[in-house]
Amino acid sequence: MSARELCAPFITGLFVDGASISVFDFAGRQSTVCATDGLAARADSLQFELGEGPHWEALATGYPVLCPNNRDSSRSAWPMFATTAQGLGIAAVFAFPMKIGAAIVGVVDLLCITPRRLDPHHVSLAASMAHRTATAAVRLATRLADDATSVEYEMAPALRREVHQATGMIQAQLNSTTTEALARLRGHAFALGAPVSTVAYAVVHGRLDFSTLPE
Amino acid sequence: MTPLKGTTHERPLPRKPHQFCLCRRDRHLTSDFDVVDLLHTLVAQCVDILDTDAGGLMLVDPSGSLQLMASTSEAADLVEVMQLNADSGPCIQCFATGVAVSVADISATEEWPVFQRTALLNGFNSAYSIPMKLRGQIIGTMNLFGVKPGALSERDAAVAQALADVATISILQERLTRESTILAEQLHRALDSRILVEQAKGVIAQSMGIDMDQAFDILRSYARNNNVTIRSVAEGISDRVIPAQRVAADAGHAS
Repeated sequence: MSARELCAPFITGLFVDGASISVFDFAGRQSTVCATDGLAARADSLQFELGEGPHWEALATGYPVLCPNNRDSSRSAWPMFATTAQGLGIAAVFAFPMKIGAAIVGVVDLLCITPRRLDPHHVSLAASMAHRTATAAVRLATRLADDATSVEYEMAPALRREVHQATGMIQAQLNSTTTEALARLRGHAFALGAPVSTVAYAVVHGRLDFSTLPE
Repeated sequence: MTPLKGTTHERPLPRKPHQFCLCRRDRHLTSDFDVVDLLHTLVAQCVDILDTDAGGLMLVDPSGSLQLMASTSEAADLVEVMQLNADSGPCIQCFATGVAVSVADISATEEWPVFQRTALLNGFNSAYSIPMKLRGQIIGTMNLFGVKPGALSERDAAVAQALADVATISILQERLTRESTILAEQLHRALDSRILVEQAKGVIAQSMGIDMDQAFDILRSYARNNNVTIRSVAEGISDRVIPAQRVAADAGHAS
């Protein structure tokens, strides 16, 4: 089962404009196994960076999250995501938890570029498709992580390895622990208002050295 | 599920009221257990409740063939295995049709000669075979054998079907729970290892002034030379137990 095969049926079956699938282990580590296009990948990254959005709500509650119009973000539980997503041209977002037995193992995120109300038929269809995808998605994420030669790319960022590579580099730069290095990486991104992945990219490509930064 | 060929034998249960049966099953469902043990218990209880003399349970394996999963005695085991080998008998018919098969007098039957001979030789004169169904799919059969001729009453037949239904649900739940636990553990271990390896690559790359691919090669040769896993080397580097320089020197890279 390839990443594309996992994601595509959501587009064709539900008439949405984008879909992404991510899985979580019980320590909360995320691996995004696929996204249908750049916009779906951006929406996934955004929620990953912000730590808020329908994705996290579906994961926390175990129920589908339906947001037919991001403009109603005034009463949204995720104001930052709703506003930023709107800026990217995302009008509607939906998130469906993937479960194996009773355990929530991941989320299917869907988006539309025009406001869209999913009718009950499509909601139950999406929920059952998410359910049927769960095992395959977990297997795929496991395989991607096990394979040292597997490639990460925009549509399948998987573990966002650069973040972890940068953490190791910062650890060596500062002669610190891994935990301290990760905290410095996150702190620097926060101070700059930049995504962690952007800062990680700069570190991995030798453009940023934490040993030359002021404390 | 891997078909578990083989059986668990004769573990007579004391005669107990129905409630005991439900308690036993509940305990099984909530704790860690062996599926063969569960199946054996279910068949034994069914034999007990319905006042028959022996029983067996067959399940279909992923390739579509029936496998004997449990039987309450050597005699029942033989009768079941002979039916499987001959691909003929009331249990096989029940599996093929999805309809319960009642044989009130085995000596009077004509359609399954191998079954008839084996059953009579092992002292059985009646048989009752119940389909195990889920959403129209037949996953196996539960089979009861009696020393005396005679059919199950309508009420007992309904009880037998109910017990087979519960057995079906238990099996599927057990399969599902077990699979989800294994999958979750595999995922956790894979993500954990991968992250450790990426962090260690970062440490080595920074310390040696090399790229990530070269860092991974160094990590891998160190693991090979020292006969340890890449994960454990990565963990040692991340935890600063193994200095990156030592790993590089060992792999033939001087800093």
